[in-house]
Amino acid sequence: MGAYVIRRLAYGVGVIVGVLFLLFLLFFTVTQPDDIARRALGEKVSVEVIEQWKVNHGYDRPLWPWQDWDDNLLFEHYRRMLTFDFGVSDADDSPIIDRIRAGVGPSLSLTVPLLVLGILGGIPLSLLVAFFRETYIDRTGVFLCVLAMSVSIILYIVGAQYLIGKVLRWYPISGFDADLLMLPRFLALPIIVGLLSGIGGDVRFYRTVFLEESTRDFIRTARAKGASEPRIMTHHVLRNALIPILTRVVLAIPFLFTGALLLEAFFGIPGLGSMTFDAIQANDFSTLRTMVFIGSLAFVLGQIATDLSYGLVDPRVRFE
Amino acid sequence: MRLAGRAGGDEVRGLPSANASLHVGIIAGLAFLLSPLLGCSNDPYPPAKEGEKVLYSSFIDAPRTLDPATAYTTRAHAITGAVYDTLLKYHFLKRPLELMPGLVVALPERTELGDGRVRYRFELREDLLYADDECFRLAGLDRTTREVVSQDVAFQLSRIADPEVGSPVIEPFSNILGFAEFGQRLTARREADPKFILRPVHEQYAAVGGIAGVVTPSIQVLEITLHRAYPQIKYWFAMEFTTPVPWEAVLVYDGKEGRPRFDDHPVGTGPYVLVEYDKQARYVLERSPNWYGVRHPEWKAPSAVFPSEGDEEDRRAGRLEYAGRSLPFIDRVEVRREKESIPRFNKFLQGYYDASGIIKESFDKVIQEDALSPEMVARGISLGKSVALDVFYIGFNLDDGVVGRGRGERSRKLRQAMSLAIDVEEYLRIFMNGRGVLAQSPIPPGIYGYRPEYKNPYTRVDLDRARTLMVEAGYPGGIDPTTGEALRLTFDSYDTSTAGMTQVRFYTSAWKQIGIDVRIEATNYNQFQEKLRNGAYQVFQFGWVADYPDPENFFFLLWSEMGKSKFGGPNGANFSNAAFDQLFESMKSRENGPRRMEEIREMTAILEHERPWIELFHREDYSLYHGWVRNVKPMGISAPTYQYRDIDPARRKADRLDWNKPIVWPAYALFAAGVLIVLPGIRTYLKERQ
Repeated sequence: MGAYVIRRLAYGVGVIVGVLFLLFLLFFTVTQPDDIARRALGEKVSVEVIEQWKVNHGYDRPLWPWQDWDDNLLFEHYRRMLTFDFGVSDADDSPIIDRIRAGVGPSLSLTVPLLVLGILGGIPLSLLVAFFRETYIDRTGVFLCVLAMSVSIILYIVGAQYLIGKVLRWYPISGFDADLLMLPRFLALPIIVGLLSGIGGDVRFYRTVFLEESTRDFIRTARAKGASEPRIMTHHVLRNALIPILTRVVLAIPFLFTGALLLEAFFGIPGLGSMTFDAIQANDFSTLRTMVFIGSLAFVLGQIATDLSYGLVDPRVRFE
Repeated sequence: MRLAGRAGGDEVRGLPSANASLHVGIIAGLAFLLSPLLGCSNDPYPPAKEGEKVLYSSFIDAPRTLDPATAYTTRAHAITGAVYDTLLKYHFLKRPLELMPGLVVALPERTELGDGRVRYRFELREDLLYADDECFRLAGLDRTTREVVSQDVAFQLSRIADPEVGSPVIEPFSNILGFAEFGQRLTARREADPKFILRPVHEQYAAVGGIAGVVTPSIQVLEITLHRAYPQIKYWFAMEFTTPVPWEAVLVYDGKEGRPRFDDHPVGTGPYVLVEYDKQARYVLERSPNWYGVRHPEWKAPSAVFPSEGDEEDRRAGRLEYAGRSLPFIDRVEVRREKESIPRFNKFLQGYYDASGIIKESFDKVIQEDALSPEMVARGISLGKSVALDVFYIGFNLDDGVVGRGRGERSRKLRQAMSLAIDVEEYLRIFMNGRGVLAQSPIPPGIYGYRPEYKNPYTRVDLDRARTLMVEAGYPGGIDPTTGEALRLTFDSYDTSTAGMTQVRFYTSAWKQIGIDVRIEATNYNQFQEKLRNGAYQVFQFGWVADYPDPENFFFLLWSEMGKSKFGGPNGANFSNAAFDQLFESMKSRENGPRRMEEIREMTAILEHERPWIELFHREDYSLYHGWVRNVKPMGISAPTYQYRDIDPARRKADRLDWNKPIVWPAYALFAAGVLIVLPGIRTYLKERQ
């Protein structure tokens, strides 16, 4: 297993190096440092001002190592990203790492409960519709899932703010407070919206997995032995469907750190999603670059974690 | 039988298991669905301490800086005005606005020194303290505050003169003797001696000799000598630019080694202290126990007690009942970030913000026949209306090669044509529910020089004349002869919201009617400011809120020495006209009177012809206040008023409870619907099992 882990990590490092190179091509060659400066400062800005801005933001170096081995943007880009020295925002010069540190807590406070409640709500509901397959419960469930999937998250957000926040007055319309007593109150509405917008897809996916498992030979055997349907569903189908469920869940875990873009932006949660949203609006390339890198890193780590977790839930999986 | 028994055993073990799962599921479902009943609340605030008076407000984006030498926006002044007290203040109730002593004992004594020089003598009150802050201890004192001395005001004036600080108001202070020379000496010394800049900044200022016209004969007395008459200087001492600043705070808060930057950590003498500042989420101001009004109520200092002189409207509104009472009344100001306007307004209606503007989407619900709707009246909400001392305009960058002075008469006619295409009345109707007064010149009503009878011929719509002017400008039908295509211009906007973009498109669509293709470049406010500084723009929209109630404070926006690209001033149009400049310089040092009025008329005529701006409107502010908010009186300028406000927390609490009772039956209905859907299936299943 040790060799497998090392090999997977090595692949991961390779992917990260590749992603960083693609990021470099995208943000520095396809989008030249001059373009970044012009996007920040305006199209008709004088050359002197562009040069000064590039100096202030470290974009004044040559792009490639063969132009200057000791001082070039490519190496500097790798050095900064790999040492998590992300520099300052192109928009307001504030240190990006400080903003990430401040934003990760609010993001996690939203995304972790969203993931956990999504699993706790999605799996039992999927089991229920799979259990009553081919009945009106199954058909109603699938209909509601397709309906839930078809509605834009923006509509959920606006609708929930109006209906739950304003008309029913259950929770604050928007806002955030890190105080532990206040936090659940602010998170309730974005979590409800997140669950509603995501549960349709989750339930349909899990239902398909459960139905596929429930036609397997060992299920027929269990049924022939007289095991009850609820027991078959919870003990045999659910356990054997864990691999695809795990893939979906473990892959999602690293992205908890990058936040929920729209939910944070519309509900005023000062997390990393909101920060990315602001960066897109403000053409803040240095922040965007950092967030894309963190997203890639999260994806690679998620892949490795998923592979390793297979062995934990399925003894037949061997790491070779 | 055994097998069956085992199967049955399985079933015996399985059924309770299934039942348990079912029970857990039902309980979880119940808990989730009924969670609205389990102590839910839409109250976004933790309970306030008993008897504590908290004012609740909101902000959209945090200001770029809170340094009083550089902060020059209303959003920054909302904080700096509360944290930094000023030497002079405006009378809260008197209109037109009138200055009165703030941190000083009396209004400054003015002495003519000959050769046009004028001296102002300020005498600070004794025993003024800064708000408690660790910077004093870190700078070597054995306590967390110290007395305010006149040298602190001199230090702040030096900071304004220091080119590295980048104050936007160097120009008005350059009327102080030796002000510009101080900045030059400082720069020269820094360039000559690289080690010099490593010294603490207050030592650098002392080492180059200070500003010649700023003298501190004692720790209470400050004398300012002007090398030429500039009566408006007194207004600047009612603004935070000239507040006393402790050198310790500037020294300690340098942004290094985990310390905050002075930009984000104000240390002042005001009635409030910034105790929490999270740019992304909220800030909190708390009453400063060190403020002289709190420490010395027996002084009854004019700006530390509620004023006793007001008009009939003040009497009717009950403001004069507060006469003579010590300020401030509010203990804490809690300000939350609200980027979206609809949630912000809805929270106001729920009672969670004490005051609000009126959003367009709800305007018809709130205002009916130019008065509050019965629903709002029933809630005890009151409406405040006032024409703001501001002006909004579309500016042309006259340094630009196409719309600027380089093309002489051609570009002037182009600007005139663009002016005649904009229907401001329609703009106000569509986007502002008609809340605005058409601007004919930079001067708004309420400022000396405003002439209600004056109608600018270029602030009305005349598309035929505009098209003729386009032909005369060399762009027949809007076609640029050099490209053979529609003349292409760019419009820079700092509002990237959908609403903001729609408003800008109103202008670009208007210009399309005369054939001009104007592209929108939208960025955030800071980047927009950066573009203005760098001259990278052609057309832009901007607004100006008066710093002080004098026409000089509007016309200086078009004075060449305020040019944005050359001097970093607020003249974003980079307008430079010798006749205008001459009139302005004469007008600004003249007392109000017929000659001054005539100069204003002539300046207005120049602007009418040259069209550096398309004057749009002066805002008419409609503000809503809950019944528990007292002492709201708009000043029309960016001046701090938190200390005058009062609230009735008991009434607020009762109203909030009344307005925000959760409606819970839908939760039960939802749960019942779920049960009704699932129950028949379960019954069928159980029957089949039997």
